[in-house]
Amino acid sequence: MSLTLEIVTPEARVYSDTIDTVVIPTVDGEIGILPGHIPLLTQVADGELRVTKGGKELFLAVGDGFAQVEGDKISILAERAITEEKIDEAAVEEALKRAEAQLKDAAHLDPAEQEHLHSVMRFAGVQLALKRRKR
Amino acid sequence: MASTRDIRRRIKSVKNTRQITKAMELVAASKMKKAQQLALAGRPYTQLLSGMIAALAPRVAELKHPFLDQREVKTRGILLVTTDKGLCGPLNANLFKLVTEIKTPAKFFTMGRKGAQFIARTHRDLAADFAVQDRAPFAEVKVAIEHMVQKYLEGEIDTVEVIYSRFKNTLVQESALRPVLPLASLASFISQAQADAGTTVTKQDDRDMIFEPSAPKVLEALLPFYVNRQIYQLVLSARASEHSARMVAMKTAKDNATKLVGELSLEYNKARQAAITQEILEIAAAQFAA
Repeated sequence: MSLTLEIVTPEARVYSDTIDTVVIPTVDGEIGILPGHIPLLTQVADGELRVTKGGKELFLAVGDGFAQVEGDKISILAERAITEEKIDEAAVEEALKRAEAQLKDAAHLDPAEQEHLHSVMRFAGVQLALKRRKR
Repeated sequence: MASTRDIRRRIKSVKNTRQITKAMELVAASKMKKAQQLALAGRPYTQLLSGMIAALAPRVAELKHPFLDQREVKTRGILLVTTDKGLCGPLNANLFKLVTEIKTPAKFFTMGRKGAQFIARTHRDLAADFAVQDRAPFAEVKVAIEHMVQKYLEGEIDTVEVIYSRFKNTLVQESALRPVLPLASLASFISQAQADAGTTVTKQDDRDMIFEPSAPKVLEALLPFYVNRQIYQLVLSARASEHSARMVAMKTAKDNATKLVGELSLEYNKARQAAITQEILEIAAAQFAA
């Protein structure tokens, strides 16, 4: 029995395939899902998601969302998600700098906006860590 | 028969109108593209999110959250999402039809000037009106959502429902009433929608669901998030409908103007011809007489 994994963000469906196993970063630490897992609803934290399919491993950076396991279907809703090969290091660093600069004069920003910038920075950090570790 | 001058004047005015409607069509078309993209891109996400909530539904009994409580409905809270401007065909009128069908006591919250005007004109209970820019940034929509949720939690309204025009495609938009809160009614609504769309209901895993870190914590995060996202998606859909409807209306107006110009030109030429013939006749008659 194989699992179907679907990762969706507000902008697009990032990943949809049948897979063997997946490791999801959650607020309580990583959770590995194998076929026949008990139904689960959990909060996804910023981090790297590992998919194993036919002996090959695929990495994705995900951030802020929810994951649900029901039967052999895993659905992940994330605010942001990107597959490893699509990460553009230069662009991420640029975004990180922009967010930092904006946070410097945080006095003008309302809490929601600050929170948003922080999460952008966290996600940027995850992406960079993932990209650099591979080398 | 009208004089050539009158006809000429009319042709000119129709041509002006055509130019304006053509410009408006182009503007609407470019806005439509963006709005449609936004609305369609967000759809799988929202559907999946609804699916998650629906999966919770059978377990609602043992979960505690104000959004899940089914209480007696005394006053309905209805968010009416209309356009700010007119000239978009029957879009708003169709929404108002839905409003007039509501006979039970309800408080209305509006987004879009046309809706606010209608509610005020028909002496319904207008609780609040929210101005949202054309691009419908989330920050502005959120203000409205938070306000309604606040009222819902305070008990001033017992449901949160949204009347909006559902975007199907460029030519078809249908007005719809979508219940959002309480979520208890959601499962039945979703299975209904799935049946309508012809998709099969995913098979349910009836083992107990576990929640990490804990059920209250997950619900605390998931439910408000769901409500925000859901209503925002509806607003995006309404915006896509608006621009599509406006583009179609303007295109029809432009085509009509073109047709009218054609007809008027024909009439004008006939009148001109008749006048010339008349003149020649008169000259000829005068020569004969001399």
